[in-house]
Amino acid sequence: MSKPMQPKHQNRFNRTSLYKPTGEVVRHSEYPCRLNFYLRPPPVEISVEDFERFALDRLQVLKTIENATLRNKKADEFRREMDRVSSEHMRMRTGHTKEAMEDRKKDHVSHFILRLAYCRSEDLRAWFLRQECALFRYRFELESRKDKEVFLKSLDINWKVVSQEDKMNMKAELESCAIWTAKAAGIQNVKDFVENETYFEVEFEKVPDLIGRRSVLVRRGKAFVPMTEQISLVMDEFKARLSKALEATAKALPRMDEDERLKPVLLNVEKQYTGKDYGDVTNVTGKVKASEVDGLSQHFPLCMSNLHQSLRKDKHLKHGGRMQYGLFLKGIGLSVEEALVFWRKAFGNHTDDKFQKEYSYNIRHNYGLEGRRVNYAPYSCMKIIQSNQPSTGDHHGCPFRHFSAQSLEATLYKNKVGAPQVNEIVRLAKDRHYQLACTRYFEVTHPEMQSGQVGTIEHPNQYFDMSQGKLPDSDAMTTD
Amino acid sequence: MLDVQAHDEISDIMAMDAAEQNFFSDDDMTEVDRDMSKVHLNQATPDRFKTKSFPMAASNFNSKLTSMQAMENDPVILLRTFYNRFFPYKTYFNWLNYDTTPNKNFVQREFSFTLASDTYLRYNSFSDAEELRNEIERLQPVKIDIGAIYTAKPKDKKTINPKAFQPVEKELVFDIDMTDYDEIRTCCSGGDICHKCWGFMTVAIKVIHAALKEDFGFKHILWVYSGRRGVHCWVCDERARKLNNEARSAIVSYLEVVKGGAEMSRKVKLPATLHPSLTRSLDILRQYFLPLVVKDQGVFNDEKSWKKILNIIPDQAVQAKLAERWEGTDASGKSRWDDLRTELEKNEYAKRKTGDKLNLIPRDIIFQYTYPRLDDKVSTNINHLLKSPFCVHPKTQRVCVPINPDTCDQFDPFSVPTLQTLTKELESYNAANTKETDKRMADYDKTSLKEYIGTFELFVDGLLKEALERKRAEASVSMEF
Repeated sequence: MSKPMQPKHQNRFNRTSLYKPTGEVVRHSEYPCRLNFYLRPPPVEISVEDFERFALDRLQVLKTIENATLRNKKADEFRREMDRVSSEHMRMRTGHTKEAMEDRKKDHVSHFILRLAYCRSEDLRAWFLRQECALFRYRFELESRKDKEVFLKSLDINWKVVSQEDKMNMKAELESCAIWTAKAAGIQNVKDFVENETYFEVEFEKVPDLIGRRSVLVRRGKAFVPMTEQISLVMDEFKARLSKALEATAKALPRMDEDERLKPVLLNVEKQYTGKDYGDVTNVTGKVKASEVDGLSQHFPLCMSNLHQSLRKDKHLKHGGRMQYGLFLKGIGLSVEEALVFWRKAFGNHTDDKFQKEYSYNIRHNYGLEGRRVNYAPYSCMKIIQSNQPSTGDHHGCPFRHFSAQSLEATLYKNKVGAPQVNEIVRLAKDRHYQLACTRYFEVTHPEMQSGQVGTIEHPNQYFDMSQGKLPDSDAMTTD
Repeated sequence: MLDVQAHDEISDIMAMDAAEQNFFSDDDMTEVDRDMSKVHLNQATPDRFKTKSFPMAASNFNSKLTSMQAMENDPVILLRTFYNRFFPYKTYFNWLNYDTTPNKNFVQREFSFTLASDTYLRYNSFSDAEELRNEIERLQPVKIDIGAIYTAKPKDKKTINPKAFQPVEKELVFDIDMTDYDEIRTCCSGGDICHKCWGFMTVAIKVIHAALKEDFGFKHILWVYSGRRGVHCWVCDERARKLNNEARSAIVSYLEVVKGGAEMSRKVKLPATLHPSLTRSLDILRQYFLPLVVKDQGVFNDEKSWKKILNIIPDQAVQAKLAERWEGTDASGKSRWDDLRTELEKNEYAKRKTGDKLNLIPRDIIFQYTYPRLDDKVSTNINHLLKSPFCVHPKTQRVCVPINPDTCDQFDPFSVPTLQTLTKELESYNAANTKETDKRMADYDKTSLKEYIGTFELFVDGLLKEALERKRAEASVSMEF
């Protein structure tokens, strides 16, 4: 069963080597540029150890990109972050030295490994595509004009160049579109700019960003893109090709999965970046008893401890709260039997009859035992923040999103957060970085954890696990 | 246990409806539908109604028309007549199918119906025009929405994997609604319109139509009166149908000029050098600004309205100067507009190196007061539903008829046929013409609906012709191999 991998690789090498005219010289021109469109699979054999190490290194880079975008980093901050993480995990040296070639090989190989890991679902593909596009853009902008030209030439992309005659025919229109472009390129006189600039004629769909900003001329469906804006075109090509390749990989994957050496590594890598969805609770269900919930509540994130306290205080929770809290409890390991006990006790003011009629169905429903029989997953932070806004009498939602600044402040002080940290957290919440505010709250209340180890809180159950001392990446990061 | 479960499933459905409602174009239909449902709460269900109380076939319909006069103002019966006799099913099918033999364009297209009982039925789909006709006649929807073409038949949605059910194509659509003009309208507000404000829609059609045609190269653009207070636009070129959401958003943001919420006085801020597309738009706006905005709307006539305009000027001193000149006088709107321009277009402002270029403000005011205001959510999401042409608006009883963009200046929403006028016209035509040839005529040809259906047929002919040419080209290519 594990056989097919080897011959397939052999084949691939042979096929690739057909493209090369001769042996030794080619080894160096394998990677003439630092930039790569990743059109061909890497023609190298690598060890399983390298396989995983490369993948995890690239993941660090992609995760940094995601984090920076989530935190709305400005362009220069973003670049600084990227410079840092690249030098640590994925150096890309210039020139044609042996080291530079090694860098490029690693870049090439690691891209393809992650492709395999991330092609499995629509969501994963979208995530990978987004981060890879950002990475490519960052690298493209680092290159000199000459290196860019060399790279683009190697791609052999057919962008139709507008003839001088055609350009002169629409000179006035091009000029009125080029004011900002010319300025950005450091040329004050727009007429000179248009006259000397090479323009490409492309379908307008290829450059949505330029169309949306009204920064190119569009006529009868064609956009006229100046050379200086070619990054938009390059990104379109990159995105289109990678997106297609990912789908193709997804279709081919079942065959590759047969290699037993790769499968665990890929699954491990895949788990890394999206985090768990906590939907599969089969391995934890039954671990927690109803009577233990109070004791565990010290590990709850603010949203859940708020629901817990409200439940204790009012002996009731409205529907939205029951859903958010009930599924969370399911995620930490409360079985359906224990859940029924827990809620029955919590709703102490209700008669048995009323409880059976109105609530037990709902609890069983959450566990997939009624109605559509869907095994519902605990809500993620995104879902709590974005959907089902709490209204009067509701206690669900995200405290960093749905509390007023005053009540958030009061809650934080009550939980023994120091004044400077309270200010910091409230400010993050005010700037709409709710998950970062929650992360910061976690860091402050868990001083034993090293900051930086925490990542961003994306799921209440992740918070709970981490608070219990389980690091999210701990099992995945060890490669042995 | 059983009834609890049933109840739960109902609440599931209702929750889903609430979540999906924002996919409908906001044409105050919900509110209206509720009115309708109140009125007809005691009516028989459509099914029973069809077989028992209204058994006559279309052929012996004419003779019974007179006896129906008592019922002629009953919207339910009028709507039934409309769906039986006036709705242009065949052309409608050819349009959405983009060919004459059924294919995925039609078969995998979502239709959604709103019933008089205020129920939404989403994800309907039909195999051909006949099936669509039967279902419409059975359900008597007060509103029909058109959605996207999916990877599978929408009616099978529940039985297939959600991943295998994705929207793939849809016309590029635009929704322009008069309520978005309330802050600049002086004559009416909300759902009301009059001849004085309809001009905004005329300008909108002209500006958007020109941009779609000349900038984006689209050829098959259908404009439709929304039945009450706005217009819809359906761009039907194959290229438009295949646009992804990103490209749709890009086009909308390319077209959008008026931005900012209620807390923002100045909603248009354009650079000194306009994009050629906006230069063309401005030429159109200029033709309408004086007659529509200054004269008909009279935005310079009363203090409240002209104060709004002065607030746009980012210079307190200039604002005060003009206010002082205008207060308590009864100068004409035109002369006040001239005052404003003379004041702001002074040379000193144009030469100013820092701060706002005040000389550009009059131009931006023209944009703010005449440029089309789009409801962007309708356009940017391929999933979004939009009310179909040839629906009948339940409140006004007007048919959602196509508008010819070349003659949109003459379009008068108040002369659009209603259910009542159509029935009357048909009746009087049949009374005056009894020849055999008349009997064979399509019913809409006997009424004022004729010209609108003519516009629609011309539009659909263009599409079919192109489809035919493409097929021929493909055939000749494959012959070469």
